[in-house]
Amino acid sequence: MNVSPLLFWPVSALVLAGAAGAALARNLVYAALSLGGCLVGVAGLYLFLQAEYAAVIQMIVYVGGILILILFGVMFSRDLSGADTRPSLGSRILAVSAGLATLAATLRLALLVPRLSGTGLSQVRSSTDTWVGQISTDSPFHIGDLLLDSWLAPFLVLAVLLTVVLIASLGLVRKDAS
Amino acid sequence: MTELFLAGPERLLPYLLVAAMLFSLGVVSVVSRRNAVGYLMGIELMLNAANLDFVAYGRFRGPEAAAHAQVAALFVVALAAAEAAVALALVYAVYRNFRDVDLDKIRSLNGD
Repeated sequence: MNVSPLLFWPVSALVLAGAAGAALARNLVYAALSLGGCLVGVAGLYLFLQAEYAAVIQMIVYVGGILILILFGVMFSRDLSGADTRPSLGSRILAVSAGLATLAATLRLALLVPRLSGTGLSQVRSSTDTWVGQISTDSPFHIGDLLLDSWLAPFLVLAVLLTVVLIASLGLVRKDAS
Repeated sequence: MTELFLAGPERLLPYLLVAAMLFSLGVVSVVSRRNAVGYLMGIELMLNAANLDFVAYGRFRGPEAAAHAQVAALFVVALAAAEAAVALALVYAVYRNFRDVDLDKIRSLNGD
């Protein structure tokens, strides 16, 4: 599936605006809804990368599952006591400085990538900024093969983990747990 | 810069820039939120940034790496779902014991 390149920056803007809303909105319901916009935008970015499988997984599991779970949590826990939930000035300053430091570090790494040459990271260098054109359209089939071949052991561990998580969550919310 | 702007989705750097900003906003959310559910949303933002980097790097590496990257993304999404389920169960258990989910107020380990 090919998406018009002109839509790339609007979709990126949607992702970042949604993330900003999720991080900064005072009302947690709005924050959760902004997070939904951000997650849909990330699915759109996967379409630009011709990763349809990842985009569909993103929509089904994140937007359809995790976001609903988070909205439930917000409805459940929001302002029950009417207390002030705004962050204190100190934690705001701390948050902004931590965010700026992370941004500087990650941007530094991102801008470094096209120039990584002759170092131990030459493998990374070979991948950068070379758009390899259309990739095969049967990638979901190939991904299925990979899951049952080179990723088989992690796949089985993941299945066990999800079962453990299901039982553990039920155990945590049991009425006589405390 | 203009050339990068016009090239948009066919270059690696734009994806890395978006992912970097996404990750930083996740850090801001994790540090500043007092509500446990808001904290969880920050973690989801950071996981999404990492996933975007996975898929973008794989795509620019070639068809085989693109498929592997999508498998890695699938694993991250599944772990995020597991993490959200356990975290919300914990929030519920904490709320039942403390009648509050403000992370600044929940300090004791034995419920006193």
